[in-house]
Amino acid sequence: MKSFVRMSYPYLLWIALFIVAPMIMILLYAVTRSGSGTITFSFTLDNFGRFLSDTTFLKVLWTSLRIALLTTVFCILIGYPAALFIANLPEKRQTLMVLLLTLPMWINMLLKTYAWRGILMNFDLESEIKVFIGMVYDFLPYMILQIHTAIAKLDRNLIVASYDLGANRWKTFLKVTLPLSVPGIISGITLVFLPAVSSFVIPKLLGGGNYVLIGNLIETYFLVAGDWNFGSAISLIMALIIIASMYLTKRLDRSAVEE
Amino acid sequence: MKRLILAMIAACLALLPVMSSAGGFDPAEVAGTTLNVYNWGEYVDMEVIRDFEKEYNVRVNYKTFESNEYLWLQLQSEDAWDVVVPSDYMIERLIAAKKLQPIDKNIVDNLDQLAEGVKNQAYDPDNTYSVPYFWQTMGIVYDTTKIPEEEMEAQGWNAFQNEAYAGHAYMYDSSRDAFMIAEKALGYSANTTDENEINAAYEWLRNMHRTLKPSYVTDEVIDSMAEGLKWMALVYSGDAAYILGENEDMSYCVPSQGTNIAVDAMVIPANAKNPKLANLFIRYMLDYEASKANSLEVGYASANARVLEELSGAGGEYEDNAAYLPRSGYELDEVYVDLPADWQSRQPDLWTKVMAE
Amino acid sequence: MENRKSPWRFFSSGYLILVLLFIYLPIGYVMLFSFNDSKSMISFSGFSLRWYEAMFENREMLESIYYTVVVALIATAVSTVVGTVAAIGLSKARPLLRSIALEINNLPVLNPDIVTAISLMLLFLSAKIQRSIVTLTLAHITFCIPYVILSIMPKLRQLDDNVAEAALDLGASPRQALTKVIIPQIYPAILSGALIAFSMSFDDFVISFFTAGVDVQNISMYVYSMKRFNPSVNALSALIVVAVTIILVLANLIPALRERKNKKEEYQE
Repeated sequence: MKSFVRMSYPYLLWIALFIVAPMIMILLYAVTRSGSGTITFSFTLDNFGRFLSDTTFLKVLWTSLRIALLTTVFCILIGYPAALFIANLPEKRQTLMVLLLTLPMWINMLLKTYAWRGILMNFDLESEIKVFIGMVYDFLPYMILQIHTAIAKLDRNLIVASYDLGANRWKTFLKVTLPLSVPGIISGITLVFLPAVSSFVIPKLLGGGNYVLIGNLIETYFLVAGDWNFGSAISLIMALIIIASMYLTKRLDRSAVEE
Repeated sequence: MKRLILAMIAACLALLPVMSSAGGFDPAEVAGTTLNVYNWGEYVDMEVIRDFEKEYNVRVNYKTFESNEYLWLQLQSEDAWDVVVPSDYMIERLIAAKKLQPIDKNIVDNLDQLAEGVKNQAYDPDNTYSVPYFWQTMGIVYDTTKIPEEEMEAQGWNAFQNEAYAGHAYMYDSSRDAFMIAEKALGYSANTTDENEINAAYEWLRNMHRTLKPSYVTDEVIDSMAEGLKWMALVYSGDAAYILGENEDMSYCVPSQGTNIAVDAMVIPANAKNPKLANLFIRYMLDYEASKANSLEVGYASANARVLEELSGAGGEYEDNAAYLPRSGYELDEVYVDLPADWQSRQPDLWTKVMAE
Repeated sequence: MENRKSPWRFFSSGYLILVLLFIYLPIGYVMLFSFNDSKSMISFSGFSLRWYEAMFENREMLESIYYTVVVALIATAVSTVVGTVAAIGLSKARPLLRSIALEINNLPVLNPDIVTAISLMLLFLSAKIQRSIVTLTLAHITFCIPYVILSIMPKLRQLDDNVAEAALDLGASPRQALTKVIIPQIYPAILSGALIAFSMSFDDFVISFFTAGVDVQNISMYVYSMKRFNPSVNALSALIVVAVTIILVLANLIPALRERKNKKEEYQE
């Protein structure tokens, strides 16, 4: 089996070149001072201090996290029953449903958002509600598919056993299906929460331009302001928050499984 | 794909041997070559490009971008564009960074066709490096059924501080333009770097954010105002001309406090691979025929004097369109100057804070 | 769980139909408005085919869709192969190496696109590599591989190592163990990884924008740089929906037909 390990070497080289090396450059920018285009090596933590000491930036961060969090919650609430119901369909219908959920992912996201903008123009809704409709729309298929995969893998015998032991439908769901589908929810969260934190096109188009989000900040500082050092620092802060939250969900996952 | 195109070009070559000459330059020299053009999205009549290709037996590789800052970043690389179309202040920055090569005026022999309002601007005093393409002023598009004309004209930029319009306004999300209207409203230069004036402008914008509660938008404002979704919006005249053409209720106000005159001009990067064809292209685009087709298609004010006069004059396509012809020769109007590096990053920084408050 | 008709079943079908309606509403909207007589995306003023005509006359748009598909196909093929091979290798590697590699693998997924984009652009600029369709494809492969690995890894963990061991003990070469034992077992996961990779590549704007050169523009770059909305894009999307539907239906029909045929043959034997 050891010979298989060697198979990962080309990939390790690839990530060293195309992921690690570029990220080191971002890290270097984040801890150095001014000068876009060339790296000047004067170490500083000012870029991080500037972000963390400014209430405006913290507010932007909070708004982004809040929108991403609520989007994820809505996706679970709407997506879980859908995934459960799909898993209960006959196998051919399941394949069809999975197909139908996959298809919209192939249409340009911006275009679907334009369409929502047109549709929602006809309704007098709070801009926040419009943003959530657009966000949930974009991410819901990913959540449903992840949870569905987890539920579909479940051993049917466990459920039958639970019924045999006198548990009703509700109890079986709570004690058997739900705990065992947690890994699916977790991977769904990964695919929804992470991109949702940095998304800004949907809030911009549907929120009527009332939101400044962390994705906007990064774009503004890199592109408009040309301040790559600060832009890099914001990117790193965001990456840290995301990695921390992933670590937390993994812990939750583990404790749920242990129970 | 490439082979197919080459074959097609070869076929064209055989069919169309005789070409018009430009400034003693033999067009046969460029036949069969490719020209890499980088322009704003939806900013041309593609028929004009196709005609140019036919006339010179060349292929135009036409690509689009969406902001000057993106363009600047792209030009930091080795990418060899032959013609790009930045705006005034970005041209100034590119000239200073030695990223451009001079226009060959032996080939581009029709600069006399340029309109007075766009010629010899401060960023490039003798049009050494740039040939204007479209130009425009910034102003306010507003719904005359919601805001009467006299009311709007009397307020000018101060309409952006009027609580009565709260929730009914679009503000263009561009730090440079946002600071421009604040500075003009306060009677300063749009190119100021005076600390106190910038701070006053910043406070003016914060006040706008609180009282007007505008929606911050970019190009989607064009379609939104054409649909009449809000009462007023900050837009460039070319976009305003389009909006006015689509929606009869809309009118356009260029405030008497002064505004920005923006010129988008064709330039040739220093590392262009096909500069001869680039010059031919610029000449072609400036000529009457192409200028007219482009201006009709896009709605922006032509840099060609004759086209400008014809389209805005009696019987012209834009005769009754208040936004098409940019105001020129007005004392308080200014072209943007490229700000010093620290301001280039400070303005967006302050503007972000206004929007996020 | 139970096959008898019940209000519960009625409710669950109703719920799924609602979800599908929600998901297909904007797509139907795009298709409807591709036939709109005017430029508006808000009001439908009459039926016309003008946007389809405009689309087929628009060489730039057609070229961009061509490049989008070519890049997505290459990126999917390369990232699926590299990702599958790497995932199998990593699953047998020491836990420390594996967990470090997987954390790094997650970076392009975790990072906002703009960070990945800028970091790759910095790499190409500082290495003085001229950006072109090659760098664009390299970038796409880079952000596609993680999705392939993420999709395969859980499946690999469930695999029984003993089966592959047994194959090796019985004299199979490692290559045979790989192609005859491991890959068939994780095949569905590889396929879903490839599908995700393709749709990610197909839809990407930011990373493409910063890694493409003068020679190539994909459809997202085209759409994002539109100053005014060009409804030809609606027509294009409507055609993409139709094309994808056909491809997906075929992709699912062919294995099903083959299976039926096999079953029939088995039965006849």
